[in-house]
Amino acid sequence: MSALLRIFGAPAILFARTITAIRRDGVNGRATMVQFVEIGSKSSLLIVAGLAFFGAVMVTIAWAQARKYTGNITVVGPAYFELMVREFAPLLVAILAASRVGASTSAELAAMSVNEQLEALELCSADPISELVTPRLLASLIALPALMVIGTIAATASASFVVTYVFGADGSSFTDARFVDPVDIVCALVKALMCGAFIPLAAAARGLKAKGGAPAVGEAVTAAVVDASMGCLLIDFVVAAAFLLIGV
Amino acid sequence: MIRAIGAFALSVIRLVGALGLVLARTVLHLPSLDRRELMRSIVLFGYRSLPLALMAAMLIGSTVVLQAGVYAVKFGARLYTGWAAGYALTREFGPLLLGLVMAARIGARNAAELALLNINGQIEGLRGISLDPFRLLVAPRVVGSAIAITALGSVTFLVAVAFEAISSYFSLGLPLRVFFNSFDEMLRVGDLIGGLAKTLAFGLAIALVSTVAGLRARGGAVGVGQASASAVVLSCAAIFSLDLLLTPFLTRLFG
Repeated sequence: MSALLRIFGAPAILFARTITAIRRDGVNGRATMVQFVEIGSKSSLLIVAGLAFFGAVMVTIAWAQARKYTGNITVVGPAYFELMVREFAPLLVAILAASRVGASTSAELAAMSVNEQLEALELCSADPISELVTPRLLASLIALPALMVIGTIAATASASFVVTYVFGADGSSFTDARFVDPVDIVCALVKALMCGAFIPLAAAARGLKAKGGAPAVGEAVTAAVVDASMGCLLIDFVVAAAFLLIGV
Repeated sequence: MIRAIGAFALSVIRLVGALGLVLARTVLHLPSLDRRELMRSIVLFGYRSLPLALMAAMLIGSTVVLQAGVYAVKFGARLYTGWAAGYALTREFGPLLLGLVMAARIGARNAAELALLNINGQIEGLRGISLDPFRLLVAPRVVGSAIAITALGSVTFLVAVAFEAISSYFSLGLPLRVFFNSFDEMLRVGDLIGGLAKTLAFGLAIALVSTVAGLRARGGAVGVGQASASAVVLSCAAIFSLDLLLTPFLTRLFG
C-alpha cells in the first residue's frame, strides 16, 4: 500500500501544482514544441522498431498454436487485430516510452536540480514547474496517443507482412477491422492519455527532488524509470479491468 | 551523407568491439571472481527487483490469457488453453516482457553506478593502485546480473502461470484442473528450458550493454543521465535482435 502511495502520490501532487501553474502562467508554446520533438519524435524509432518486432513475434506464436489446433492462422486475424489495438499496442508503447522518456526527463531535471539551476530559475522569478514541467506534461499528453497510433500501424503491418511472406497465408486478415468498435479505440486512448500524463510527472517528481551530487542523478534516473514503468503497468491493468468490468 | 554513414558505422563497430572486450575479460576473470561484489550484485539486481518482476508476472499472465483465449473463444478449444498459454508464456511473452522491464530496472541502475565511478575517476583510481577494475567491478556485475535475471525468470514464470490459471478461470470460466491438465500433458520440458535460456541470454545482453554504456560515460552529471538512458535504449534493441535470432534456433532445437 505504501509502495502504491509512493508511486502515485508525488505525481498526483505535481499534477495539481502543474494545473495551478498553467492557470496562473499559461503555456509556453515554443518550449512545448521542443519537448514534443524530444519526447515524441525521438522515441518514435524505438517504438516503431519495438512494435514491429512484437507484431512479428505474436503471429509466430499464433502460427505455432494454430498448427496444433486447426492449421489455419487467418481465422484469428480479426480477433488479433482487436487485441493489438486494445491491449498490446498501448501496453508496449507505454513500457517503451516509460523507459525512454522517464530516463531522459529525470536525468535532465535531476542534473538541473543538483547544479542548483532550479534555484537560479526562482531567482529570476520564474516558476520551475511552469517552465519545466508544464511543457513536458503537455508534450507527452499529445505524443503518447500519437506514438500509440504509429506503433499500432507498425505492429499490424509487420504482422501481416510476416504472415504473408514467411508463412505464405493470407496476411490481410490481420488488418481486418471487423471486431474493432469505438469502445476499443476509446479504451486504447484512455490508456495512452493516462500513461502520457503519468510518465513525465513521475520522472519530474523524482528528478526535481534530486539533491546532492552526481550519485543523486543516477539514483533519480533509476527510481524514475522504475516508477514510470511500474505505474504504467498498473494503469494499464486497472483501465483494462475497468473496461472489462463495465462489460464493453 | 557519407560522413554520417561513416560515423554511424564507426560507432556501431566501437560498440560491438566494446561489448566483445567486456565479454572476453569477464570470461577471463571467471575463475577469480570477487565473491563479495558478486553477492552484492545478486542482491542488488535480483532481490531488489523482485517487486517489479512480480508485477510484470501478473501482467504477463493476464496478457497471455488474452492472447491464448482468442483460440478458446473462436474454436471452443478451451481444453487447450493451458497449453497455449504456457507455450506463449515460456517461449515468447515471458522472456520478452521480463527482459524489457528488467532492461529498465537493472540496465539503468548498473549503467548509472558505473558511469558515476567512471566520471569521478574512481576506475582510474583502482588502476592506479594496480587493482584490475574488470576483475573487481565489471566481471562480478555481469555474472551477478545474469544469475539474478535467470532466477527472477523462473520465479516470474511460476507466478505468471498462477495468474494465467486464475485469469482464465475468471475470463473464460475454465476450471483450474482443466487448465493444469493440458498444461501438464502438452507442454514439454524443452519449452521451459528454451524460455529460461532466452531469459539468460537477455540477462547477459542487458548486463554487457549497460556495463559498456556505463564505462563509456564522459563528462559530468549529464553524462550519468545519458549513460543510463542509452543503456535502456540499447538493451531494448539488444533484446529485440537477440529474440529474432534465438526464436528460430530454439524452435529447431526443441521443435
